[in-house]
Amino acid sequence: MNTTRRMTMGLLAGAASLGLGIGAVQAQDKEIVIGGSLPMTGVFAFAGLAVEKGMQDYISMVNEAGGIDGYTVRLAYEDTGYKVDQSVAVFNKLTSQEDIHLYYGDSTGFAKTIAPELARSGDMIMGGASFASELNDPEAYPYTFIPGPDYSEMLDILLEYIAQETPGASIALINSDTEFGRDPIKPAKAKAEELGLDVVLEIITPPGAVDVSTEVLKLRRARPDYAIFHGYVLAPQPEFISQAKELGLDTKFMGTFWSMDSSLWAGVGEAADGYMGVMPYRYYYDEDGDAPMLAKIREMQPEYVSTGYMQGFLSAMLMVESAKRVLDAGEEMTGANLKAALNSIEDFDTGGIMGLPISVPGNSVPVGRVYQFSASEGKMLPVSDWISVE
Amino acid sequence: MIIGTAKETYRADESLLTTQPQRVWLAIFAASLVALPFVVNDYWLYLTCLVAINVAAATGLNILTGFTGLVSLGHAAFMAVGAYTVAWLETNLGTPFWVNLIAAGLVAAALGILVGLPSLKVKGLYLAIATIAASFILHFCFVHFDGITGGATGINIPPLTIFGAELTTYFSLYWVIMPVTVLMVLGAANLFRTRIGRAFIAIRDRDISAEVLGIPLLRYKLMSFSIASFYAGMAGGLWAYFFRVVTPESFPLLTSIFLLAAIIVGGMGTILGGILGAVFMTLAPELLRYGVEWISPLVPNAGALLSPVRTVVFGALIVGFLIFEPQGLAEIIQRIRRFFRLWPFRT
Repeated sequence: MNTTRRMTMGLLAGAASLGLGIGAVQAQDKEIVIGGSLPMTGVFAFAGLAVEKGMQDYISMVNEAGGIDGYTVRLAYEDTGYKVDQSVAVFNKLTSQEDIHLYYGDSTGFAKTIAPELARSGDMIMGGASFASELNDPEAYPYTFIPGPDYSEMLDILLEYIAQETPGASIALINSDTEFGRDPIKPAKAKAEELGLDVVLEIITPPGAVDVSTEVLKLRRARPDYAIFHGYVLAPQPEFISQAKELGLDTKFMGTFWSMDSSLWAGVGEAADGYMGVMPYRYYYDEDGDAPMLAKIREMQPEYVSTGYMQGFLSAMLMVESAKRVLDAGEEMTGANLKAALNSIEDFDTGGIMGLPISVPGNSVPVGRVYQFSASEGKMLPVSDWISVE
Repeated sequence: MIIGTAKETYRADESLLTTQPQRVWLAIFAASLVALPFVVNDYWLYLTCLVAINVAAATGLNILTGFTGLVSLGHAAFMAVGAYTVAWLETNLGTPFWVNLIAAGLVAAALGILVGLPSLKVKGLYLAIATIAASFILHFCFVHFDGITGGATGINIPPLTIFGAELTTYFSLYWVIMPVTVLMVLGAANLFRTRIGRAFIAIRDRDISAEVLGIPLLRYKLMSFSIASFYAGMAGGLWAYFFRVVTPESFPLLTSIFLLAAIIVGGMGTILGGILGAVFMTLAPELLRYGVEWISPLVPNAGALLSPVRTVVFGALIVGFLIFEPQGLAEIIQRIRRFFRLWPFRT
């Protein structure tokens, strides 16, 4: 027994030292590597898997069309389990193995943690899964971008829609007790006031809490016209909505990007009918308008792909476009040049992924549209035009 | 008793290193710690610093749980207190880093005494729950004391500065983090050569007997809590300088469980155990990445498919070690030592 155990330990130690020994994978010539700290496991894995698929599809499209000026594009990513220390570890691992100038990060925590390193190295720009308002500050985060509106801008889009539909409407803000959830509360209240809307109730719940009956009673007392959820993926929104419906409330419920995937709501059933929210990208099944890129996506992916896929797809598109502009200008691939190239994007056609020609004046792309879930069709259907809140 | 190491004085009997090979190995280890940053890349340097911070925190928890027998699931919250203290001092007062680090330890220690108060009445799982409760209260404070903690968005911390030089690379931070950790571990090792440390062990083995022996339980239990929290606070302070941003979500309950798992896997009640456990828990998932990398060419879409497998293998490794080596990784080292002590005469 002892011998076996010693042998096992020896083998383990051997394997470990081999692991240490295998160093950098040599980058091929003429290649642009997009790095990624992606959550393939853990609570955010559903998004990580979709984002990866979206990025890979766009990258293979670019490569099939000949790459960028003869450069092929490749995504080098590893799993982070949605933990900041692991995301940073992946970042360090990939950047020591490859020459990386474009990066996809998986969380707000990671984006904030790695920002000083991005500033120090000045090598790359980073997009990611975070739409945190704090990141939408080109001075504090010069090398970061958000492939859509930040969370405050998402709420702005919803509020503008509400102000248009029901002027002077009363609103409840329901947020999770996380950095993600609390993000847009203050700016949303200011915007509501500016638009003449009345925030009558603020509810903060633990993330994913199931028992919401006391909160629903508060909602019944306040009887808001609209209730906006933010900081959740799904739970406890269905509970909220179904209990409110049982109490006879006619409040309209809304959400933001990460809770807008239609496959999420299709599983909820009848209670989900009428749920609205802001979405920066077109859905997989959107047929309206001119969207050649969506047709291509449907060709590549015969089954429905989630909103995370679209986010990854557009992220890759913005990264590739920035790299292309830098190469075309004959400049060096540095963070500053790439960011300047990104900011030079004006009235850019995303092939219909976003409904308006987009510009990236700062760190975000402040465009979105309000969609509403139809339980009978199992789809999100547009109820507003594309709204830009620049 | 080892052959050929007869002790003639109590002092020699109490010394940390008792044999020549031990001294040699430790010297080699110390030399390799000095050489390490010059030979490894940023990835490994990052992991080494992270391991060092986890070793400091785990050693603190080991003092409390492994040596004094008081279970705590609030250790991460004390790390957070340390991190916030450093963040606040660094952004508001700009005091030197060593002052901030010690202050981080002291503030955490003071809170540790408060949280440790129930430990006289409750033990085991009850104490674990009490410490979890304390960590929830602290989390509430981190979110709601906006003026001090920056609320939900937390505090961004300027780089650690020594004599006007900003330490922003892992290479430079290593020279702060590693020495501090080494000092902390040495301190812990020496603690158990003193009356205080031995009192902790007596309390762990049987608290009533310890009291009969004349050890005031409340004082020593609180002392253990404060020392453990001091370690957590210092580790949290190092963490703050390392990651440069602290939010209420930086130190979740999972971190407490991670540290507890580290000392259990490593070996509770031995200094070496805390170190090995923290090293294992931090590095094993990273080493398994290479496993995924090796298999990648053979499996299409390996990243997406194998990442969950990596988590499962990590879990299985922990379970495996608990079953086959319940004394922890430290026991494996002891067994190797015993083997070589009589080698080649008996194997």
